[in-house]
Amino acid sequence: MTKKRTGVFVCHCGTNIAATVDVSRLAKEMAGEETVAFSRDYVYMCSDPGQNSVIEAIKENNLDSVVVTCCSPNLHEKTFRDNAARAGISGFTCEIANIREQCSWVHKNRDEATAKAIKISRSAVRRVARNQSLEPIAVPVTRRVMVIGGGIAGIQASLDIANAGLEVVLVEKLATIGGHMLQLSETFPTLDCSQCILSPKMVEVSRHPKITLMTYSEVQEVSGAVGNFRVKILQKPTYVDPEACKLCDECTVVCPVVVPNEHDLGLTSRRAIHIPFAQAIPASYTLDEDSCLGLNPIRCGKCKDVCEAGAINYDMLPKTVVEDVGAIVVATGFDLYPQEKILEYGAGNVEDVLDGLQFERLCSASGATKGHVLRPSDQKEPKDVVFIQCVGSRDPAQHCAYCSKICCMYTAKHARLYKHHVPDGRAYVFYIDIRSGGKGYEEFVQRAMEEDETVYLRGRVSKLYRKDGKVRVLGTDTLTGENVEIDADMVVLALAMQPSKGTEEAAKVLKIGRDKDGFLAEAHPKLKPVESVTGGIYLAGCAQGPKDIPETVSQASAAAAKVIGLLSSDTLNHAPTVARVRRSHCTGCEMCVTACPYKAIRLENGKAVVNEVLCEGCGSCSATCLRAAIEVKNVTQLQVFDMIEACLTV
Amino acid sequence: MINIQDIRDTARDLLAKGEVRAVIGWRAGSRGMPAEPVVITAPEQADELVWDPTCYHNLALHLVEDRKFLAHARKTAGAPIGIIAKGCDARAIVVLMQENYFKREDVYIIGVSCEGSGMIAEWKVARQLDGAVPTAAAFAGDEFAFATAAGEKRLPAREVMADRCLECRNPFPKEHNVALGEDKTGRALEAPFAALARFETRSEGERWEFWQRQFDRCIRCFACRSVCPMCYCEECVVDSINIAVAPETTAEEKANRIRWIERSAVKSENITYHMTRAIHLAGRCVDCGECERVCPVNIPLRLLNNKMEREARERFGYEPGASIGGPSLVASFRDDDPGAFIR
Amino acid sequence: MSEQQPYEPKIVAFLCKWCSSAGSDLAGVSRIQYPANATPITVPCSGSMSPMYILSAFNKGADGVLVSGCHIGDCHYMEGNFLARRKLHLVKELLQFIGVEENRFRMSWVSAAEGAKYAQVVKDFVEDLRPLGSQEKLKAQRT
Repeated sequence: MTKKRTGVFVCHCGTNIAATVDVSRLAKEMAGEETVAFSRDYVYMCSDPGQNSVIEAIKENNLDSVVVTCCSPNLHEKTFRDNAARAGISGFTCEIANIREQCSWVHKNRDEATAKAIKISRSAVRRVARNQSLEPIAVPVTRRVMVIGGGIAGIQASLDIANAGLEVVLVEKLATIGGHMLQLSETFPTLDCSQCILSPKMVEVSRHPKITLMTYSEVQEVSGAVGNFRVKILQKPTYVDPEACKLCDECTVVCPVVVPNEHDLGLTSRRAIHIPFAQAIPASYTLDEDSCLGLNPIRCGKCKDVCEAGAINYDMLPKTVVEDVGAIVVATGFDLYPQEKILEYGAGNVEDVLDGLQFERLCSASGATKGHVLRPSDQKEPKDVVFIQCVGSRDPAQHCAYCSKICCMYTAKHARLYKHHVPDGRAYVFYIDIRSGGKGYEEFVQRAMEEDETVYLRGRVSKLYRKDGKVRVLGTDTLTGENVEIDADMVVLALAMQPSKGTEEAAKVLKIGRDKDGFLAEAHPKLKPVESVTGGIYLAGCAQGPKDIPETVSQASAAAAKVIGLLSSDTLNHAPTVARVRRSHCTGCEMCVTACPYKAIRLENGKAVVNEVLCEGCGSCSATCLRAAIEVKNVTQLQVFDMIEACLTV
Repeated sequence: MINIQDIRDTARDLLAKGEVRAVIGWRAGSRGMPAEPVVITAPEQADELVWDPTCYHNLALHLVEDRKFLAHARKTAGAPIGIIAKGCDARAIVVLMQENYFKREDVYIIGVSCEGSGMIAEWKVARQLDGAVPTAAAFAGDEFAFATAAGEKRLPAREVMADRCLECRNPFPKEHNVALGEDKTGRALEAPFAALARFETRSEGERWEFWQRQFDRCIRCFACRSVCPMCYCEECVVDSINIAVAPETTAEEKANRIRWIERSAVKSENITYHMTRAIHLAGRCVDCGECERVCPVNIPLRLLNNKMEREARERFGYEPGASIGGPSLVASFRDDDPGAFIR
Repeated sequence: MSEQQPYEPKIVAFLCKWCSSAGSDLAGVSRIQYPANATPITVPCSGSMSPMYILSAFNKGADGVLVSGCHIGDCHYMEGNFLARRKLHLVKELLQFIGVEENRFRMSWVSAAEGAKYAQVVKDFVEDLRPLGSQEKLKAQRT
């Protein structure tokens, strides 16, 4: 192997690096390395002149490899690898030494930071000295997409992708698509009916020739990688054949089991056999196994007896379906922060204290009260209603540190809806701040105050409790400095949004990261807001963070655009840093075969053979092999060995 | 008790019928005692075979040698090879098969049970015989019978057995084609890992002092490695001088040899060598104790390997040499593997 | 006389690319200060950690070795950290058995969102290593 001619390019990053690290000393030290033929520092290596200077240096000095000491490889590894390729050398002989995030930004002492930057950079130089020139591997892709979650985000993404001509499998956990948006009465800032704008999209999904809808289904297992995922889905039995069901509703009449209706958040009840709501897609009944008396004609069997269409089948079994897809959109949504955790507001045990979604159901024409706002305890029209914002949000000490973003707006909407239903009623809103950024949003809040005469009180509610058939609300108005006491007929809490249980489960199954609050982590907070850290998996809607409907729809369409872009060609470039077998050392012990999470290794004539398309380069094989007979290209054991030495050389 | 004639008859029969091309066993040593490994290829050689308390060698090593010989000579095996195997030998064979070093059908295992006793430790015998030099040893119930110039001497087996045999739980070769002797699986004359448990009561400083004293003596003769059936690698990761050069070995491979430690016997690196061995034997070592027996400077190597064996057993429910089809210790995991040490 | 300077331990920190390295990036973005004793080596996955890396780092004079990966269940490669947990448990046990101070080898799970945790892990490790001084037991005494 001929000795490398490496160029080292030390970036100042303005003063981000140069203020803490002695960059000229670093460049000088690197010049002393055996394999380094060229070394310089420059103020902004990633700028156009910076990148061009790298290209020039490569050409003039006949360099075959590059080390850029700069920020995290997550930011500019691709930039500099592409740049190296423009200069005619393999991008895979370019490595990044992270001396910003891992050094200059976390240390103040210049000598210490410089010494550490030298070690980090030297380590990269030694690694590059044994890097191979590699070219990406072209992998055929599966031009199908899976969307997980059938709320507005999942619906929008599915339609956009399907309209681009790609096949979509939409998986929804519940018996119908629609998600939380379907529970809403009206939407801000236009006050148009939520169902009226969503239902047509749901119907479009069900009729779209490119969309396969799988409701009452959960993703169980995902294997493979970008371009070629294999997803195992469990289809739970509904015990009703949707093709045969005539929607006559006879079964619910005879069903003896009454349980709270989830769609109405417990404000109404349903039977064990039920249709979630009249416009459900798919339009069919579901027999809820958990509350049914036993799926057994001996124990009950009333619904089966009465069903003339013969649509009910107690012997229906769960089905596992395997789908191959090239990309996945995760749109698993949010849950409300549980009222039980809000001890100061009675932990959900005070009558007539509702959460925002319950209030939506009270306002909705299809809801419990057929669109009349009546308080649950006595079905009377409430005359004094208190809305409390930021319940669970912006409270790092006890609840969620973050702002749930939509509550200011939906509380204003609630107050207005209430006033439209009960014109002689009084609406009070307790708030900390009003955040109404968005087109038409501020005007909407102003109308709530002015047109609908909602009383906005700046301050928090310290306590509420039941007193004389009303809910006594104790709070302060921090603008007047006075204590406020309201005997309310009803209280509506604007509870924080939190990642849904399905989001948590999806993160586990898909192995995609979550942020500190449990929402799915985007690959970059600014520049890659719809990509997950894992290639080929995209994020949409509230699973990624609190957002309103327009923003959710935008993100869903953005994710769809990314998917369409990814699958626009028949092949994808697969990183060539895959495992390679040193055949003379391999004894065929099969340990790597067992250890490989991707089943990318097999034995052939007693030696391990790597399927480079399946290999993701994790190195589990290499760590398990007793003979160092299998290694990941460009992260070989010898390279790590040299890096260790570099880290310990003073 | 096993009648030696049964072993000889089995071996003779297999060779005569051509069911095996050779039988690996023991014959009387050139000095009478101890026995020595032998590979017999003709039925008439079967009468040379012996079975006595000095058959301590792990014969699985000779299976490894056989495969290496065939590979170097570029020959195919043809008929299977027969091997006489004690409990520990058979476990070693299972691990080798688990690692595909040879196929089950290529080996004919004549299992021999150590029954109620095991192999001798020569230093214990010497201590008990007051200087008399035994020329032969034989099983005799709970005792061993030694032939000496002053006539037969009998010693209680437990007094002169090797430590590993005292702690042995599996004196019966579970994996076999034919087995001779009584199955005493589960017997341990001393509590398993007894010596290890005693050692672990020492403080960190005492442990270091102990091991430093042990490893300072190591002369890196690599006898431990040479005698170990599990150390079948052509090139050892800690001693990559003898790179395996095969037709497929590339120039780059030759250039990119990893020198985890230097070959020169720098004392401070002895320990890295032995730790590497212990790690590489985790889940593979069957506690035949041969490394410790052959060590010319008496380093208690079993202690190291026992430590790994016990961790595998207690933390991961893993028993080396228990199953040919099962996954290797370090290539597999369980969801509830201990992780409390991780912050 | 002035007080003796505290010993500055040399640490090699093996960070998995997806979680812990990203976590250390977040510590940087958040400007969380921590001691400069730990030099990071980014590896694809904690599952790629050969026990030899750890022995080798000590052999080359590291005072402490840190291995950090994704939390169990979060491995980018699905199972790598499970394999690492088992393998490195054995290494940890062996080091302690030989009589190497327990605090010389450390393992942590640091997610991409745990910048502060990474800084704390390094701080704690440095504090725990200081009183131990230079690591001579496994260091090669080559001349």
